[in-house]
Amino acid sequence: MSSKDEIDINAYVDGELTPEERLEVLAVLRKDPDVAREVCELNNLKSQLELAYAHPPGLGERSKVRRRSTWLTLAASILTLSIGATGGWIAGHNDSAADRLVLLDPAGRGQAPATAASDETRIVFHITTPDQLAAGELLDEVENMLQAYQHEGRNLRVEFVSNGEGLGFLRQGLSQHQARIHQLAENYRNLTFVACQNTIDRLRVEQGIEINILPDARIIDSGVSHVVERQKEGWAYIRV
Amino acid sequence: MKKYVYPFVALLFAFFMPASQAAVEEGYSKQKVVYHVNYDDPKLQAAALRNIQNHINAVGAENLEVRVVMHGNGLALLIVPEALERLPKFKHANADDQMAARIDGLKQQNVSFKVCANTVRGRKVSMDNDLYDVDEADIVPSGVAELAKLQHEGFVYIKP
Repeated sequence: MSSKDEIDINAYVDGELTPEERLEVLAVLRKDPDVAREVCELNNLKSQLELAYAHPPGLGERSKVRRRSTWLTLAASILTLSIGATGGWIAGHNDSAADRLVLLDPAGRGQAPATAASDETRIVFHITTPDQLAAGELLDEVENMLQAYQHEGRNLRVEFVSNGEGLGFLRQGLSQHQARIHQLAENYRNLTFVACQNTIDRLRVEQGIEINILPDARIIDSGVSHVVERQKEGWAYIRV
Repeated sequence: MKKYVYPFVALLFAFFMPASQAAVEEGYSKQKVVYHVNYDDPKLQAAALRNIQNHINAVGAENLEVRVVMHGNGLALLIVPEALERLPKFKHANADDQMAARIDGLKQQNVSFKVCANTVRGRKVSMDNDLYDVDEADIVPSGVAELAKLQHEGFVYIKP
């Protein structure tokens, strides 16, 4: 890999590329698993750094920059989607899930932190292990909570984020909980399932197979960045 | 609106920085931390308890409030070895003498161990006969809900 590519990858991870440049990098990522893994690691590192320094006092300037880069990322993703470069998953995409608040709103609307003062409990479960037995027990536990909150008229939002070895939980053919997830997603509008595009891309390249995600799940760029954003918004975080 | 408030807050912080900086240099300030255990590997569990001891050593027991929340397989940490044969849903019972000594040591340093009632009920665990040194006050209605509640109360989440 040339040094020019390395510069491009860093700029890509930092969201500093133009949409056209971003597409070029995406094309490289599809072909080269090493580069894809490197981007994944850079993304992880960046997210962990962001979380570590999530709330330093008096860094208004920095958060403005971040917001701009989020817009750029969003603009690039929309362009990517519009020219159909992401391929087939949109075809099987479930529209009824679209109105649920999963994509992060860059302006932060409707995402007030769930502090002790807020009346909504928000929990994000980060599924990173292949243990589907434990995931099943977790679904029991979450269903109990959803029922209890509904019964008592209290607000609760729950999100499952699968990436890395945890992606099997949301993969068609591999998930042992497909019917259960479908039934829960139908019954509870305040429950969402999210799969990581980075992991999907990596598996596609490494194993040369098509990765199909359950129709009840949405796909986001990076699972790790997503759980970091959720924590910044005040969601409780539980890793499984 | 927020855009204009932040620089002002920053200025305030800059103003009071010298005082808070001094406090930081004297050591860590008070911390509230919840450790999450839902796995039954005895090595991982022993390592988790070691993490907590190291955490206490660094911060000072007087500055640190620790809750260990266990559910699912994680309950194996407190299951006494002789109970294993009457608990078919568990593969490990890790509360041998050595582990019990570690748990006792931590309890004397402001660490409490919380057990999920759903797991106790679902896996037919007897609080008195199967678990090491657990009483009614150590049982929480749901391990998952407890983890969320503690984070809203300002506890930092760590999963070793």
